[in-house]
Amino acid sequence: MKKRFLVKTRIVKQLSALLLTALLAVISGCGDSDADSEGTNDKETIVITMIAKSSANPVFISAKTGAIKTAEALTEKYSKLKVVIDWQNPENESASEQAEIIRNVVKNGTKAIIVSCSDEDTLTQAINYAVDNGVEVMTFDSDAPNSKRFAFYGPDDLEMGKTLMNELADLINSKGKIAILGGNKMANNLQERVKGIMTAAADYPDIEIVGAYYHPETEADAIAVISEVMKLNPELKGWAMVGSWAFFGEKLKRIIDPGKIKIVAVDALPMQLEYIEKNYVQVLLGQPTFTWGEISVKTVIDKIYFNKKVEEIIRLKTIPVTIENLGGWSRQLKAWGYKDVPEKYLVM
Amino acid sequence: MSSKEIHKTAGSDKIPNRQKFAYGLGSIVNNLLGGAIGYMSIVLNVGLGINPALVGTLQAIPRLTDALTDPVMGYISDNTRSRYGRRRPYIFVGAIFVGLVFALMWQLPGGYSEMFYFWFFLIGSIIFYLFYTMFATPWVALGYELTSDYHERTRLMGVMNFMGQFAWITLPWFYAFMENDRFFSDSVQGARTLAIIIGVFVAVVGIMPAIFTRERFVAQDKGAKVKNKLLEGLKKNIALFFKGLLITLKRVEFLKLCSGTFFLFNGIMLVGAFSSYITIFYVCGGDKSMGAYYMGLFGTVTTISTLAAIAAVTWISSRIGKRKTFIIATAIMFFGSLLKWFCYDPMVPWKVIIPAPFIAVGMGALFTLMGSMIADVCDLDELETGERREGMFGSIYWWMVKLGMALAFGLSGFLLNGTGFVVDFGGAQTSSTFFWMRVVDVGIPAIGALIAIFSVASFKITEERSYEIRSELEKRRSKSISIEKIAPST
Repeated sequence: MKKRFLVKTRIVKQLSALLLTALLAVISGCGDSDADSEGTNDKETIVITMIAKSSANPVFISAKTGAIKTAEALTEKYSKLKVVIDWQNPENESASEQAEIIRNVVKNGTKAIIVSCSDEDTLTQAINYAVDNGVEVMTFDSDAPNSKRFAFYGPDDLEMGKTLMNELADLINSKGKIAILGGNKMANNLQERVKGIMTAAADYPDIEIVGAYYHPETEADAIAVISEVMKLNPELKGWAMVGSWAFFGEKLKRIIDPGKIKIVAVDALPMQLEYIEKNYVQVLLGQPTFTWGEISVKTVIDKIYFNKKVEEIIRLKTIPVTIENLGGWSRQLKAWGYKDVPEKYLVM
Repeated sequence: MSSKEIHKTAGSDKIPNRQKFAYGLGSIVNNLLGGAIGYMSIVLNVGLGINPALVGTLQAIPRLTDALTDPVMGYISDNTRSRYGRRRPYIFVGAIFVGLVFALMWQLPGGYSEMFYFWFFLIGSIIFYLFYTMFATPWVALGYELTSDYHERTRLMGVMNFMGQFAWITLPWFYAFMENDRFFSDSVQGARTLAIIIGVFVAVVGIMPAIFTRERFVAQDKGAKVKNKLLEGLKKNIALFFKGLLITLKRVEFLKLCSGTFFLFNGIMLVGAFSSYITIFYVCGGDKSMGAYYMGLFGTVTTISTLAAIAAVTWISSRIGKRKTFIIATAIMFFGSLLKWFCYDPMVPWKVIIPAPFIAVGMGALFTLMGSMIADVCDLDELETGERREGMFGSIYWWMVKLGMALAFGLSGFLLNGTGFVVDFGGAQTSSTFFWMRVVDVGIPAIGALIAIFSVASFKITEERSYEIRSELEKRRSKSISIEKIAPST
């Protein structure tokens, strides 16, 4: 009986050893076939042309970083896919140059185009031309909603305006006179933001809007308007600025006492951070512009490579930047590719 | 014995290397099974679209069933009498069935509703955990009884813990494997194949401890009167089970070890996610690829350091004893936790890896020394109760670890919210949020380490006491055998 048991045990042990060897052989075998498949594997290259408004506008630096990093990550993740970003932009903002770029890249065989439209009408024709020629187009930042583009990624400007108003109301205890700096009156996105401010202001009966003021989008013109309005309204408590033209230089510091008038504004680029630090501005609504590149590239690949259904309107969420998160926001800007973030903010 | 004198393990107490290795293989299987569901569950959400809350529920429910099944299995195993032993038959059968069930439960068919997948996976999980318990509880108990020697136990646990680390090295690669488009069309298909590979591995490797180890207490039971046949009377067994459970829970030395483990291990588990968040969003300014790189580096340094720490702890403990070694290792981990405060530096990101080796020392020591010390408690328990109940001690200890882990995972989300973290803000969190995240990340493991040191500092089974216990037990056993020889049972 005992002998039979020992024989059985030996058989079980031998079988176990065999199984273990077989398992190792299978594992080594898998490794070989893996190496073979690597050798014969052809990657499909997808070139995506990304067109910014201009090389002069720094917000597109991080969009470019986001697009390139996402392309690299997708290429690394998927063995059969190689994503290449063809970054293009006019030197100065020009819708006609953007349209020309679109026509050229369609002829050169790009697979998809992602564009921030300088002018809706001019770009609509060019986008439709690209789509008619089999190139998928997505817009970001500034849309061309009547074109054949399949998706848009950008902020909800109406909501952004409401957020500006709510932040400003908090700062002035929901009481007093305020003004709106509106930028270019012809720009639809800016008009939506102004509309958002007006809509939200209805919830604050003790706040009076003295006016929405428009101007060419330069620092000098913005400062001139601000000076004039403040002279006319010495009791002004705050400004809601739908763009950041007033912070492009140092002039604002000469006409505003820090903290006396509360300011909330859109965009939080490195050059604006000092205004937060020194309390000239209390809240900046930062746009995570890195995601212009990141989300747009992912969406295009989902659409044209994976044939997934994608949302037509993808909303970007703004981030309120205050003295409290100045350090975090500064590090974020650096990670997004901005080289000119002062070191003192990075260690906050 | 003088403190300078180093105890030499008698030849008869030494566990052959082959047996140590076979027992260690069980550790790979045990850790693999323990971690695989957690690492693969992402497929339920990403691949099949199951709501994350339901996925969380799927992971939590088996923890509750474990609370009952683990001690019951411990009791069953402790009271089993068979010619193959009281552990090995369960390990053998458990390994085969748990491998089979694991492979089957991931064969999720496509095109069904969320609730279909929920119930399919829940039923599969419950069956899986039953067989997992059937394998793991006797396997843990087996480790406590393979030798009576104070130091040989630590060496066995060192081998077990060392080999078990290889499962933890493999687990983080599961998602990349399932998502690999060279092999699979999607992650669900990847999960199906991976589950079969794991199932086969578990079934084949998991039976090794059953085949290649020898139970010490089998021979003693031969011819002895069978104490409690399992089906002899359900009522009697239930009463005995609860009596045993109560005795175990009243064993103060055991509770000290449980407390030490609970606070040390779960202190680390509770803030596990925090380190990643701080590295990505604070140190790397929200750059996820850079953050992932440093987290990977941190993981590699931790793994290498843990392996080295296990070897070092095993050796040092044979010189200065288990309790002192544990206290020193945990103090090093305490220092490593505090070091984190100074090493989260956005200007010098690589500094995040500096605390890793110090923290690894504590974690390497924990499961090496605790297993060995529980075996010493089992001896003390036998001396005072006349019963060997490794199964009961092992099951309660590991259930406490698993429950603590589940609680830690559940609480960490609340803790993160409590710091003011807003996911949409990425790296642009407020300074106070980052401050509190760092306080939690540094403070909780440090406090956990201090409580662990405090708990274990008064552990009474020293090396000398362990020899005394052993000597008394051996006297008692030889007396019992000679009585049986004179008056064999009828």
